[in-house]
Amino acid sequence: MNDTSFPFGLPPVPPSAAAGTARITFSGERRDFRRLIMRGAALELVTVGFYRFWLATDMRRHLWSNTAVDGDAAEYTGTAKELLIGFLFALAILAPIYLAYFLIGLEAERLQAFASVPLGLFFFLFAQFAIYRARRYRLTRTVWRGVRFWMTGSGWSYAWRAGLWTLLAIITLGIAMPWAKASLERYKMRHTSYGDLQGRFEGTGGGLFKKVWWLWLLMWLTGILLIPVPFIYAAMRAIEWRWWVSGIRIGEVSFTSDLRNGAFIGLYWKVIGWCALLLSVLGIWIGIAFAIGYVSIGGGTPTEQKFLLAMQQLPVLLMGGFGYIVAALAVGTVIRIYLMRDLWQRVAQSVTVENLTAADNVTAQGELVSALGEGFANSLDVAGF
Amino acid sequence: MTAGTDHSGIFLDGRSNRKRSVTLRFANGLDIAEQDTVIESWPFDQVRRADGPPAMLRLSCTGALPLARLEVSDPATQGMLAAYCRSLDAGKSPGQTWRIVAWSLAAVCSILLLTFFGIPLAADRLAPVLPLSIEQRLGGAVDKQVKFLFGDKTCSRADGQAAFTKLVDKLKDAGGITMPLEAQVLSSKTPNAFALPGGKVYLLAGLLRKAESADEIAGVLAHELGHVQHRDGLRRLIQTGGTSFLIGLLFGDVTGGSAVVFAGRSLFDASYSRDQERAADAFAIDVMHKLGRSPKPLGALLVRVTGKEENKSMTLLASHPMSEDRLALMSKDLGVNTGPEILTAAEWRALKGICATR
Repeated sequence: MNDTSFPFGLPPVPPSAAAGTARITFSGERRDFRRLIMRGAALELVTVGFYRFWLATDMRRHLWSNTAVDGDAAEYTGTAKELLIGFLFALAILAPIYLAYFLIGLEAERLQAFASVPLGLFFFLFAQFAIYRARRYRLTRTVWRGVRFWMTGSGWSYAWRAGLWTLLAIITLGIAMPWAKASLERYKMRHTSYGDLQGRFEGTGGGLFKKVWWLWLLMWLTGILLIPVPFIYAAMRAIEWRWWVSGIRIGEVSFTSDLRNGAFIGLYWKVIGWCALLLSVLGIWIGIAFAIGYVSIGGGTPTEQKFLLAMQQLPVLLMGGFGYIVAALAVGTVIRIYLMRDLWQRVAQSVTVENLTAADNVTAQGELVSALGEGFANSLDVAGF
Repeated sequence: MTAGTDHSGIFLDGRSNRKRSVTLRFANGLDIAEQDTVIESWPFDQVRRADGPPAMLRLSCTGALPLARLEVSDPATQGMLAAYCRSLDAGKSPGQTWRIVAWSLAAVCSILLLTFFGIPLAADRLAPVLPLSIEQRLGGAVDKQVKFLFGDKTCSRADGQAAFTKLVDKLKDAGGITMPLEAQVLSSKTPNAFALPGGKVYLLAGLLRKAESADEIAGVLAHELGHVQHRDGLRRLIQTGGTSFLIGLLFGDVTGGSAVVFAGRSLFDASYSRDQERAADAFAIDVMHKLGRSPKPLGALLVRVTGKEENKSMTLLASHPMSEDRLALMSKDLGVNTGPEILTAAEWRALKGICATR
């Protein structure tokens, strides 16, 4: 820039700041996402849940392709078929493990008490392994400007770290949580790369602790009142997201977030409101089903037995089961709209990317990995989005 | 090149993330040119649509590098591309959703077949060969649940207990029971009796109260001994476990899975146990005949306890077959009592009062 073009020799904007700074934008229409989710939930009902692979893929495609960094939208290249195959492989591997778990559990029953704890621990670690591998699958399907993200590292190595840190966090009533999060994030990010740019995480446990300790204290002091909990939790999550975003480095590219502390409070209350509404509707529905069943049993039966019989009647069971499944799908829809899409949008739009020019000439690297990790995560019920 | 045919886009070659401004030419294929040099040429039939934001057309090519992308924002150019590249959406057939639905239903059918035929068959084959120690271990776990449901109070007033033991021993001898057996009276108002895996038999005081003669109770106990001898408890456990294992495994996610397992379990359990109930009835009739007593009182007691069952929805789920069916079965032979009373009048009175505290 030529200084002489300005009368007083002062440029209107500091030139260094403008060089590599970019925003993240989200262009997805809420209406489109809602339609996608509701159609998906209906199909999940019809296909007894098998549609979840297609729904998950469609959701990711929507979120990824509408999120743009410096005007360039990301792309999700995973397919539902990959997820299905990953799930089937995971089933084949898990079936004998479940069987062994059942038999060992039976033996443990005889010895009583703590004998079954190590088994639960194994499944906890296995879930952490699955979470890590699922993240790896999603990353290798994430493409920006024609180059994919990828990930190395060992799922088991991550799993035992997660196990020990969780144990410590439980023992310290949550005080160690910031350090646990920082350490695990450091492991994940230093094994994450975009093309030939390696990632790292510079956030520290102490840094997070300094920002959330008062909320942690407030949670223990006022948690019993229940009403403050969503406020405190939402603020905690917002602070944590901000901390997370500002800790991420990809090569020399860094990020900042101007997310407000209260950005999620409305979202959490909307979810709570919807869940309360859906639960009451479900309660009324099951009540009606039970009442019909109860009345249809002839007189002369003792009340105790009448209750048991009414609960076992086929129409009552079918009505109750159907109501439960529909309610569960509806809750899932609400959570996906508010806590997935809206939260994603708020976080994405709060981010400023610094020094993006450092990512200007990235060479493609990294191999695709299979969806087996996602399959495990799916069978263990720890799948993210 | 004239201004009218100038179609531009952004090209990413799949090797680096460098954005290259290119012009597009529609020749034998889609020629991608950078500063008038053609850097890549994509055959029209290999060009595919990739995921992109709403207003942008993002293209890939099956013959090029997997992540090579061409991004076009100009609507006129997008229209040209759509006209030239006929296979843009190849592989994304509109009937895909219906195919998913159809395959899911096929999977459900196969699971249902397995639960109705596969697992019962496996249970029938497995139950006789599993060692008794395993059955007793399983029974221990079930026993805890029973005690939780019906209370832990057993009735054992001395004279009543003596009568009860005598009754059980007589039935045991007559039935030729080879399995270990442990029978007890539980202090619960529910009129019922049941056998657990591993040979535990519980008679609930509620049933004792409703009974009008020792033969009625003898019939019920003989029926439960039949379950023990046939190892029905183990069979049912294998089936319940197998069914929930199968369904739970397939419905990985929480959405509705547990509800289906719950509903499915009670349905399949009941439908399976009807054959077992019939076999246990036959066993009871046989034992009563061996003791020279008519099995008719058992039927009478069942009707008294459950009332006349005509409600259709009950038939599939009731864990016992319809009482009137069973009554018909028991009264068919109209056997008269040829043997002596199983318990004396005094012993019967003592048994009825087994739960009395003083």
